[in-house]
Amino acid sequence: MSAASRQFFQDATAKAVDVELREIVRRGIDHYDLVVGRGKARFADWEAARQRCHEIRREAINHLDRYLLEFEQRVRDRGGHVFWAETAEEARKYVLDLAASAGVRTVVKSKSMVAEEIHLNGALESRGIKVWETDLGEFIVQLRREPPFHIVTPAMHLTREQIAKLFREKLGGVEAEDPPSLVAVARRALRRAFFSAEMGITGANFLVADSGMIAITSNEGNARLCASLPRIHVAIVGIEKVVPRLEDLAILWPVLATAGTGQPITCYNTLVGGPRAPGEVDGPEEFHVVLLDNGRTRLLADVEQREALHCIRCGACLNACPVFRSIGGHAYGTVYSGPIGSVIMPHLGGLGAYQHLSYASSLCGACTEVCPVKIDLHRHLLQNRRNAVEESLRPLSEKIGMRLWQWAMLDAGRFRRLAWAVRMAMRLAYGMRLEGTALDPARAWTKNRAAPPIPRHSFRAMWRKTRGG
Amino acid sequence: MRKVALFIPCFVDQLLPQVGLDTARVLERLGFETWFPDEQTCCGQPAFNSGYWQLARPLAERFARVFACADAVVCPSGSCTTMVRHFYPELLAGTREFAQAKSLSARVYEFSEFLTDIAQVTDVGATFPHKVAIHDACHALRELGIREGPRQLLRGVQGLELVEMTHSEECCGFGGTFAAKFAMISATMGATKAENAESSGAEYLTSTDPSCLLHIDGILRRRHSPVRTIHLAGILARTDSAGSETRATK
Amino acid sequence: MGDENRGREQILARIRAAMGTAAPAQKAAANEKIIVRIENPLKRFRAECAANNTECLVRPDWAGCGNALGELLGEIPEGEIFVQEAPLLRRAIAKSSETRAIRWSSQGQLSESSPAAVTLARVLVAESGSVLVSTACGGRAASVATPVHIVLAETRQLVPDLGTALAAIRQHGELFANSSFSLITGSSRTADIEKILVLGAHGPRRLVVLLSEQSE
Repeated sequence: MSAASRQFFQDATAKAVDVELREIVRRGIDHYDLVVGRGKARFADWEAARQRCHEIRREAINHLDRYLLEFEQRVRDRGGHVFWAETAEEARKYVLDLAASAGVRTVVKSKSMVAEEIHLNGALESRGIKVWETDLGEFIVQLRREPPFHIVTPAMHLTREQIAKLFREKLGGVEAEDPPSLVAVARRALRRAFFSAEMGITGANFLVADSGMIAITSNEGNARLCASLPRIHVAIVGIEKVVPRLEDLAILWPVLATAGTGQPITCYNTLVGGPRAPGEVDGPEEFHVVLLDNGRTRLLADVEQREALHCIRCGACLNACPVFRSIGGHAYGTVYSGPIGSVIMPHLGGLGAYQHLSYASSLCGACTEVCPVKIDLHRHLLQNRRNAVEESLRPLSEKIGMRLWQWAMLDAGRFRRLAWAVRMAMRLAYGMRLEGTALDPARAWTKNRAAPPIPRHSFRAMWRKTRGG
Repeated sequence: MRKVALFIPCFVDQLLPQVGLDTARVLERLGFETWFPDEQTCCGQPAFNSGYWQLARPLAERFARVFACADAVVCPSGSCTTMVRHFYPELLAGTREFAQAKSLSARVYEFSEFLTDIAQVTDVGATFPHKVAIHDACHALRELGIREGPRQLLRGVQGLELVEMTHSEECCGFGGTFAAKFAMISATMGATKAENAESSGAEYLTSTDPSCLLHIDGILRRRHSPVRTIHLAGILARTDSAGSETRATK
Repeated sequence: MGDENRGREQILARIRAAMGTAAPAQKAAANEKIIVRIENPLKRFRAECAANNTECLVRPDWAGCGNALGELLGEIPEGEIFVQEAPLLRRAIAKSSETRAIRWSSQGQLSESSPAAVTLARVLVAESGSVLVSTACGGRAASVATPVHIVLAETRQLVPDLGTALAAIRQHGELFANSSFSLITGSSRTADIEKILVLGAHGPRRLVVLLSEQSE
């Protein structure tokens, strides 16, 4: 059991009994289901939309080098810089060196899972640079000093009362606790930062190869401000985000919005390529795109699971997942949680360390059903399990147990006799009222569930008796 | 075809024998001849789902041989049917048994889909005057496309009032070894299912999958819930004493 | 920063090595008809605007838009209005500039306290009730940094769908002449608190489109 696995087990168990949390998460997701249902109905053919998005992403992933090179060339033609970072450390170093040489004291940042992945904020802060998370949800969890709960709605685990209390403590000027008032407090606090920061850091939803532009989707407008006002704009993006053509966005943008929040389209879909062009009124003087690998090429090399790179980070699989609905995002202990996180973390961080997430699933398939780019998520979880077995990463006790079980099942007579013996032993144990006690052989079951009545006769025994075989 | 082989999942054989008997009774009432190939043990799903594909393969090969000469195989479990229909060809790809697996996967049916699609009946002459809600088991729903069939069959049951529970399609939390490995998460998912069953006002919760019902039943009984569980075959096998078996078509 | 970027060659090499194994064959392409066909773009545009909280005012001509603009600016609190430098806007705003302080985009970036911005647009998209602007429309900040954004456009600029809109900016080298484009759909908003929708986040709370039926 890896350290991550032990921690997960502890956290998941704790969250699983947190009824209040479950209620809050549940309400949020029920609302999401309602609006997404309406959103899908706006399409003439939602399934065709999914298929088209799958094909666009597939084309990109299967020719990744070509499209990344095209993107890089066009960004350079626009006067931008492209840096390829193999590891999180390389990416961090590039940004830190850039900030140092430019005398950056304040950074405004819009939501970026990749920036989380490389632990950028901490690195900047350790150099004495003040980082302002400007996405409201991220701003809230930053004040609370905790990681985001969900990749799309980072603060969905908090009530307005909790947020109001937080703002009162950290910001002051809180007059009312209704959401609009709280949003106004955050807006006031962040506006000065937007206008005074020397560097804006964003992620990107897509890298458009034929245009040399990044595409950023946001509802709040914060990402646009980060890319417009500071002198330097840095975008940190995973290499898998590339799409071949500008026109691909005509379907990707509505699908991302629908699956992400149930909106027909997100409020701001912005294309940025290069610093301010000659003759332009405003805009950054410098534009840097940091392309991050950090294990993505490992996933690319796995032919079966390569399609997990199609992910557009919409969060739909998290919302659909009954495990996520039960334990929430923090329990996963990873930057990417939910089904997609469980699929890719073994590739980004090692199967030995993260295999447990693939086992913490009932393989119900709800994730696969909702994924707008048609990733066969639950199939990949099963493949991770198979890989873990083949790489001998499973506990010895499990290996032995499985082997014994298989041996019992290979012969009908053996199965019959052994099963009969186990059944009789259980009947005896439960007859002695051992159910639910420490001596209960089926304790893993009976800790939380009543044991089923153990029949005296099996089906086959009854069949033979009544039908004669 | 009038003769069907019964594929009785290993845990049904040992823990829920009545489900097997009810399955046979309903089929026979509809005029099918049933037989039970007693060499069967387990389809291998537990090993397969845990990633032990090498261990699952011999079980799959064995299973295919046991059912080789059956024209139709009927199984009162969506997950076990899925194992044979969808995963056997994948598991045995490139082996000598592949052809046999492919053939078997075209001949295996989940119990409710056999009734609605092959026998083409929705009224099997059953009586069950109770309020019933359905839990849509995951494999049956998402892998086999089974959703309307069981509802049609239940609507054909005399006296039965079908109610829909919220999130009927959400996983109950059984998930095989998941129920033991991640017992707390499994229990929480089951608790959600139990709460939804209770607030639907149903007296009984039914499903195509006995494994789900074992788990949900365990949760319901621990909560001292008024809701009871019963497999779909259990409902369809019930008749009133006035011999309404004659109502069955065919 | 130096030209040394070893990661570049490493990553490219890894990508090429990874793709040595060909991906499995793909099924045929999907159905073309994904988006519902738009019969009446103007009607659709107005309906979408109503849904996404964009105020859409249609006037017979630019003079009418100029009057509407004057009225709107009367509602804006005190402060410098930021306006895109363009002959059409010079004319449209002529009357209002007598009573309001105006900063033209040719004079430099807008100020933090500016209560409103007025710009033109590139295209209007019926499918989603959106406004597409480029950096030529007064820069980057103009359409996002003030609480109110007013757009003056003509119905001739209306296109049915996103695909057409994106194709439009490819023409005449426009795509590469501008450093940024934004597709704007409604008021800025957030649902980060209890998933409850709040209109007006960091971008404009109020978006107004003044649409002239006659082209200038």
